[in-house]
Amino acid sequence: MLDAARDLFETVGYEETTVREIATRAGVAVGSVFTCFASKAEVLSQVMLDRLEDLYAELDRITPHLRGTVVDRLSSIFALHYAFETRRTPLFLAHIAAAYNWRPGSDSVPYGRNPRLRGMIHDCVADGRNRGEVADDADIPLIVDTLMAAYAWNYRLAAWEQAGPEQMSAIMERQIALVARGFAPTAAAA
Amino acid sequence: MKHVAEVEGHAETRVRMPTRRALAKQQTRAKVLAAARELFSTQGYEGATIRDIAAAAGMSTGAVFANFADKSELFREIMTSDFDAVLVAMSDAAVRGRTVDDALLKAFSAGYAFYRGQMPLVRAALGLSWSCEDGQALRALPTMQDTIELFAEQLALGVERGELSQECEIKLRSQMLFDNYLANYPQAVFGGWSLEALQARSRDQIRVILAGARRG
Repeated sequence: MLDAARDLFETVGYEETTVREIATRAGVAVGSVFTCFASKAEVLSQVMLDRLEDLYAELDRITPHLRGTVVDRLSSIFALHYAFETRRTPLFLAHIAAAYNWRPGSDSVPYGRNPRLRGMIHDCVADGRNRGEVADDADIPLIVDTLMAAYAWNYRLAAWEQAGPEQMSAIMERQIALVARGFAPTAAAA
Repeated sequence: MKHVAEVEGHAETRVRMPTRRALAKQQTRAKVLAAARELFSTQGYEGATIRDIAAAAGMSTGAVFANFADKSELFREIMTSDFDAVLVAMSDAAVRGRTVDDALLKAFSAGYAFYRGQMPLVRAALGLSWSCEDGQALRALPTMQDTIELFAEQLALGVERGELSQECEIKLRSQMLFDNYLANYPQAVFGGWSLEALQARSRDQIRVILAGARRG
């Protein structure tokens, strides 16, 4: 069911796909879809969660081998996310839009609340502080928030300007460097 | 009123009739827009139908379609007038700022204050802005770019006053300010944040974004 839904959301579009079509493609009855999921929005949420499992399996393999400065490491983590999500850009954008597509009684979860990415960014900055690259008095949760906001809104480039992951990663790298100049120990001392 | 004063004599009688008709049309549009605003706020963008909007405005769906091509045009019209008004409020607030941090915070706050109590509408706008077709029209609104420009102007003033260094990458930094300004709306929409909470968050964000640009 989830494979069928993912393919249809990607090729036909989320709004255009009906639960009936998902059932037909998966070779199950419409009723079976509804015994597993309350709504189409819930199917989409599950599809996205499953995709993230693949991404984090990949990241768990890669992150221990990341080298370089805090800026380099943060850039790599965000770049991997952009590269991953833009493999299926329409699907990802449908996910963002669906979170806001509010009706009375609906209870969808907004995008950008990605606790694992947040955790990774947090660990990376905290690790930088241990290595003396980040000022001791830096407000790490706040730095993480600021970076996450920039990360999330850079997707507008994919949505509005058909930007590829390289372009998004390049801008993100400059944004990280810009924030980093504020949390570097020398800047704090000055 | 300037153009009215220029019309004299018999020319005035010629223009009076169409003006009155235009006025009636204006009132019909205003009535539809008020009903649409109410329904978008309570039912969401998808949930509000033209039929419901027409009923709430006390007219036929045909009368609504005589004034607006479709639902997305209705929504865009509401957003356009709101965006224009919020930009004016933000610009006025920024002028009262004493420092670059203060000016930016006042601008952010004016934006959040404007939309206080209108979060369902904000949510509908955020969702729509990400959709392929309807989003195109929303993000093409010049006010989006003008808001980033407003932040850029404040940074430039900060450089002039010697608060920020000459090499402070105004373009990138004003974009980041805008990203963070927008990112707080989902907090308000989904987390029910108060205006005070949004201001406290904004103050911190502005500090982090400007930290690397201070002269020192």
